[in-house]
Amino acid sequence: MSAFTGVTVDREALIANYATVAEQVAPSGVVAVVKADAYGHGAVEVARALVDAGADWLGVADLDEAVALREAGIDEGVRILAWLHAPDEDFRRAARYGITPAVSSVEQLSTAADADVPEVHLVVDTGLSRNGAVESEWPELFATAAALTRNGDRTRIEGLMSHLSNASRSDDLDQDVALQRAIDGLAAVGIRPDVVHLAASAGSLALPETRRDLARVGLALYGLSPFPDRTSADLGLRPAMRVTAAVLRTVAVPAGDGVSYGYTWRAEQDTRLAVIGLGYADGFDRAYGNHVSVRIGDRRFPVVGRVAMNAMHIDIGDADVAIGDEVVLWGDPANGDPAVEDWAAAIGTINYEVVARVGRSVERRTT
Amino acid sequence: MSAGLRRAVIDLDAYRANLDLVRSWMQPVEVMAIMKADAYGHGLEPIALTAVDAGIRWIGVLTVPAALRLRAIGVGEDVHLFTWQHDPALDFRDAIDSAVDLGVSNVAELRRIVDAVDQRPARVHLGVDSGLHRDGATAEDWTALVELARDAQRDGRIEVVAAYTHLAESSDADDSAAVAHFDAMVEQAEDLGLDIRWEHVAASLAGLERKEFRKDMVRMGANLFGIPGADGVSAADLGLTPVMTLSASVAKTKRVPVGTGVSYDYTYRTDTETTLALVPVGYADGVPRAAQGRLEVAIDDTRYPIAGRVAMDQFLVDVGDDDVRVGDTVTLFGTGEDGEATVLEWGRALDTIGEEIVCRIGSRVPRVYEGHSGEGRVGEYLRGERS
Repeated sequence: MSAFTGVTVDREALIANYATVAEQVAPSGVVAVVKADAYGHGAVEVARALVDAGADWLGVADLDEAVALREAGIDEGVRILAWLHAPDEDFRRAARYGITPAVSSVEQLSTAADADVPEVHLVVDTGLSRNGAVESEWPELFATAAALTRNGDRTRIEGLMSHLSNASRSDDLDQDVALQRAIDGLAAVGIRPDVVHLAASAGSLALPETRRDLARVGLALYGLSPFPDRTSADLGLRPAMRVTAAVLRTVAVPAGDGVSYGYTWRAEQDTRLAVIGLGYADGFDRAYGNHVSVRIGDRRFPVVGRVAMNAMHIDIGDADVAIGDEVVLWGDPANGDPAVEDWAAAIGTINYEVVARVGRSVERRTT
Repeated sequence: MSAGLRRAVIDLDAYRANLDLVRSWMQPVEVMAIMKADAYGHGLEPIALTAVDAGIRWIGVLTVPAALRLRAIGVGEDVHLFTWQHDPALDFRDAIDSAVDLGVSNVAELRRIVDAVDQRPARVHLGVDSGLHRDGATAEDWTALVELARDAQRDGRIEVVAAYTHLAESSDADDSAAVAHFDAMVEQAEDLGLDIRWEHVAASLAGLERKEFRKDMVRMGANLFGIPGADGVSAADLGLTPVMTLSASVAKTKRVPVGTGVSYDYTYRTDTETTLALVPVGYADGVPRAAQGRLEVAIDDTRYPIAGRVAMDQFLVDVGDDDVRVGDTVTLFGTGEDGEATVLEWGRALDTIGEEIVCRIGSRVPRVYEGHSGEGRVGEYLRGERS
């Protein structure tokens, strides 16, 4: 029996995390964010699990992602919001597939209206400087929105959204104040959106005052913590992604031998190595080599030498490890697995990037 | 066709030209075109068919499932498909039936292959671990592996096609020692009564620089994608053209005042009133989160630095007072001919190698094939006539 090489997503963990998050942000609702292939977890299966958990809003970055979910059978009883649009987007597929675009400009709003999109959300920039209309553009954007309403056009302003920078508590609260100005500006032209949303995982958990009507939550649903000083368990969450690989070979190496490209690691004493078939083409950075450890059985062993395109080496010493044995790269630390945050720290980044980088070449399964 | 948010344009003419050039350098030595990892992120099928159209007879694809994908689109058995990393649970029967060449590293693996043989003999390459310690047999296991191969060949169950090894490219001396070890192993095999028809040891770098390592065949990967491996040598120096150009369309521009914080944590602040342009490519697409201060992108021949943290789906560039508009093309990397960075520059700026840059361009970035696409097998494939 040989171990599975790939990503296993724990459906029960997703469902439990959804319940935990939903309870915590109530009475605000949740937009379950499944962009970027559900942060590397596999968008379709994750979306199905979250819908089963009760999600009635899904959030994605772009319409390609949204259409893919509809085509996979996520029906229109579940709302899908998408907020990043190509300059030549005509929004007709948004209308056809029942996808709600969040629009950042007068042009996008007018194009969506021309396509008879029934509902849109307006995106305003309250400080992150990313997408969203800047404050100087609000009067024209809001006037355009009001004109649509006045003309009896099919397109309705259902929501208003912005995105926090997480720069500091006071910066985030300043953004909330700016958002209020946008709400007031819209009200002045007679538009009162059904839903206003600002906070994502970090804001909705740490700054309750930024929650508004909906919290857009991604990372926390995957059971990961957006805070450097708090673990998944601290937040009552269970990491849903477990990455495992089968040992492809074991090999004895004498003291002094180098390993992998460039020999960045040499054996200090006679030892044994295990090789697994995951590498940088699968999203495991070259730079992880010599900086992370994996679990085999109940023990931790270091990854040594450069991570190659499709393989990495593990120093197993004299441990009883055989071909086909399971190697756990990361999973739920509550079960003794390495934490994805250890991998993030090893290359100076955050858990979001580590999971989102796991490539489509890696097989996914849901349990 | 819609330009969309982002795209990786794959220039199949450039791949073809690189392949022709590299093959001319290697004459009379055979070239195996390496296309593991979905052809280094370029897309396996179009690259493979381009190579087949160019007359390539050997392709290396790492795994059996990848080789079977190529057989399924009509890559015939006159093209040898070399695989060398096998899941311990893999059933070899389909590979053997489809004449996929199997690299083997140990006795247990060879035994599984021999046991899976039904009608036709399995085509086997015996691997030697010459120091990289990734695959191939160690010196202790070599004799047993050779004896099993020799006997299975005599019984008509396998055909021993080749012996091979991978070099660590740590230093010239280490590589020389590795090749000497390989030579000794081949000699030992011959002493045990097993003739080795093909020997292949060198990959891109050693294939170019160490002529004596070329043996019967050189495995060429990165060079064919226009990504030179040697320090200080650009693709243009060698006459190679980068095959992948990563670009996006400006999704939003905005005029912001001095002192505006940009992206998460406000790690960048504008030092004057300026225009920010939103580029819809993020770390989920393969641009590292930490690229601020390291990478520049090109818009209309001008380079601009990435401003602030790269987010999952997007980043910003500070374009000053330049007339940059929504829909303008942003080139992240390409051939370098229009002022944009090359993959080689990205690798240097990010302390890694070009191979890692192209391999991690994610699945949300559509591959758009240009050049060569009207003709031959690749043309048929791109028109949907071979899937």
